[in-house]
Amino acid sequence: MTSSPVLILGIGNYLMGDEGLGVHFVNQLKEEVEPGLADFLDGGTAGFQLMEYLESYPNIIMIDATLDGKPAGTIQKVKPRFSKDFPSAMSTHEIGLKDLVEGLLLLGKMPDIHLFIMSIEKIQPLSTLLSPEIEITLPKLKREVIELARHLSSHASQPA
Amino acid sequence: MARIVVDPITRIEGHLRIEAEINNGKIEEAYSSGTMVRLIEEILRGRDPRDAWAFVGRVCGVCTTVHSLASIRAVEDALKIVVPPNAELVRNLMFCAQNIHDHVVHFYHLHALDWVDVVSALKADPKKTSEIAQSISHWPKSSPGYFSDLQKRLTKFVESGQLGIFANGYWGHPAYKLPAEINLIGVAHYLEALEWQKEIVKVHTIFGGKKPHPNFLVGGMACSISLDDSSGINAERLAYVHQLLKQAKEFVEQVYIPDLLAIAPYYLDWGAIGGGLGNYLVYGDLSTSSYTDTQNYKFPAGAILNKDLSKIHEVDLRNDSEVQEFIPHSWYEYAGGDGVGLHPWKGETKLNYTGPKPPFDHLNVEEKYSFLKTPRWKGNAMEVGPLARVLVGYASGREDFKEVVDSTLSKLNVPATALFSTLGRTAARGLETILVSQWALEFYDQLIGNIKSGDTRMANMEKFKPETWPASAMGVGHTEAPRGALAHWIDIEDQKIKNYQLVVPSTWNASPRDLEGKPSAYESALKDTPIADINKPVEILRTIHSFDPCLACAVHLYDEDGKHVNKVQVL
Repeated sequence: MTSSPVLILGIGNYLMGDEGLGVHFVNQLKEEVEPGLADFLDGGTAGFQLMEYLESYPNIIMIDATLDGKPAGTIQKVKPRFSKDFPSAMSTHEIGLKDLVEGLLLLGKMPDIHLFIMSIEKIQPLSTLLSPEIEITLPKLKREVIELARHLSSHASQPA
Repeated sequence: MARIVVDPITRIEGHLRIEAEINNGKIEEAYSSGTMVRLIEEILRGRDPRDAWAFVGRVCGVCTTVHSLASIRAVEDALKIVVPPNAELVRNLMFCAQNIHDHVVHFYHLHALDWVDVVSALKADPKKTSEIAQSISHWPKSSPGYFSDLQKRLTKFVESGQLGIFANGYWGHPAYKLPAEINLIGVAHYLEALEWQKEIVKVHTIFGGKKPHPNFLVGGMACSISLDDSSGINAERLAYVHQLLKQAKEFVEQVYIPDLLAIAPYYLDWGAIGGGLGNYLVYGDLSTSSYTDTQNYKFPAGAILNKDLSKIHEVDLRNDSEVQEFIPHSWYEYAGGDGVGLHPWKGETKLNYTGPKPPFDHLNVEEKYSFLKTPRWKGNAMEVGPLARVLVGYASGREDFKEVVDSTLSKLNVPATALFSTLGRTAARGLETILVSQWALEFYDQLIGNIKSGDTRMANMEKFKPETWPASAMGVGHTEAPRGALAHWIDIEDQKIKNYQLVVPSTWNASPRDLEGKPSAYESALKDTPIADINKPVEILRTIHSFDPCLACAVHLYDEDGKHVNKVQVL
């Protein structure tokens, strides 16, 4: 079922405005890039249901929103090794995913996760749209994610 | 008197906060507040009713399928669409997979940690652990070497100090009563359940096309099925579903239930704590014929009042004097004022936040204090969920329910009144999982029988086009979510959604007080709960978690002056 060694995973709640940027991001990006770059998944608000995906790919590029007080649209790249390395103010679906990450560590099945987080100003509970400040920074995030995905794909295809 | 604030952040959505007043080591009054608002109703207004399932499926990351199911049923009810038998059966299988998955995950990954002391497991004797494990189950992973290896791995992680599960919680609290060996079995199965849970959700991927957030369809299901179809769901895929369901049943019978029965005897005092309302409400689901044929529900519908199991009251979701939502303590306003209750077809969702500006110490519980409305059934506060379902099935005289309930009561040597408790709620969840995992195989056989007899219809598209619809139509769709009775009410006008109201299980259970000041299920269940140490109120977590509140908690603790003294992250 996996066609690439890289999974680009967007998480977030599509109903909560900018909080859902990860989902908007993967849905847009998969239409725009060359075939075979990576597999894409709209992870929505799921936690444990993502386990099979996290176990199936050696490399995961995860995209999520964070409420960390930084200006909206700030992009940060994190290489979380433990669940506590995920930003504490990460959006409301953090707990299920954090629990899953801890479980994967205990099981010795933790994949290589590259987490891109974009700061948002607030969670808008009424909207399926992104705010202009977030929309305008998505192209930059796309360039970074594509570059990393290309690197990871080519790296993965080389003999160890 | 001390006031404790438990302000949990949620696992997936919304926030829930509990404020409890403690006097002489017991909870005197408790207040439950939903502190986050979603307003899905406003997002749906004006949209195509056929798309509603996809939006409501995003309300929650755990319960996506049950919301989608209630939604398509509400639309089908409004438009009088008859669903083909195969689609009913596939929906039942999706229901069963969700129910089993949710209950096992809840038990091991949320609730077990209220009873199982993870750190104590490090002190267990692997050989003794193995003997206990083999005495309670035939589950193969039970050798001394297995437990010894696991223990070494755990020790390494504990020493690294990197894992929240070992750093947090109330490990060492005197309320933890299990021997180290049973704690080790609990931790082993915590990890095995994590591995197992990813299998059963594949049933959703197969029938729903994708996960998370599988596809649903007004009029049927969005999958094609036949034994020799190479692209759709064929004999091979169906055999895989069969295997997944059998594995699930095996895990429930050989791991979940033996663990439940091994842990329970150490906590029998919880068979007299946390009972609460004594009123139970079930809408019912899982028909062996058709969803509209309520007589054939595996989960019978009905209401129980005042713990009286001799009388099952009928429930009518269309009757505007039965289910009503009130707002005397909710941050909303109704055109008719705070004194009225509205049936969901006439429901209004207009926010009016009058609470304190966060961050704040305490809510003013005399005034409005929650974003949850207060639903009532014929004026009564009701508990929904596995305990309600098991009690209604049991009180209806259904053999399958009687068998699992009576045999469990006799194994634990407790009276039937122990069902009305925190322990009863937790046990009922396990008991219904046994039943659901058996029923799933029956539904599977029924589906195969239909397909073999040549019936491969999966959707009825006769009334899918809006041109075929009446100018206006109203419908209600219900199901039994893992956490309890769930219904969606829809009002369609000119082919668009005019009004849409969800009354979800947690609204029943976690809502604030009503017009008469009567508490809802959480508030009622917490009353009189003993609290040994107000700085570590694990007792509150036990009872709230027994409802499966779909959230993890960050507990903020306050001293008697209401000053913030500590914050403990609780798994």
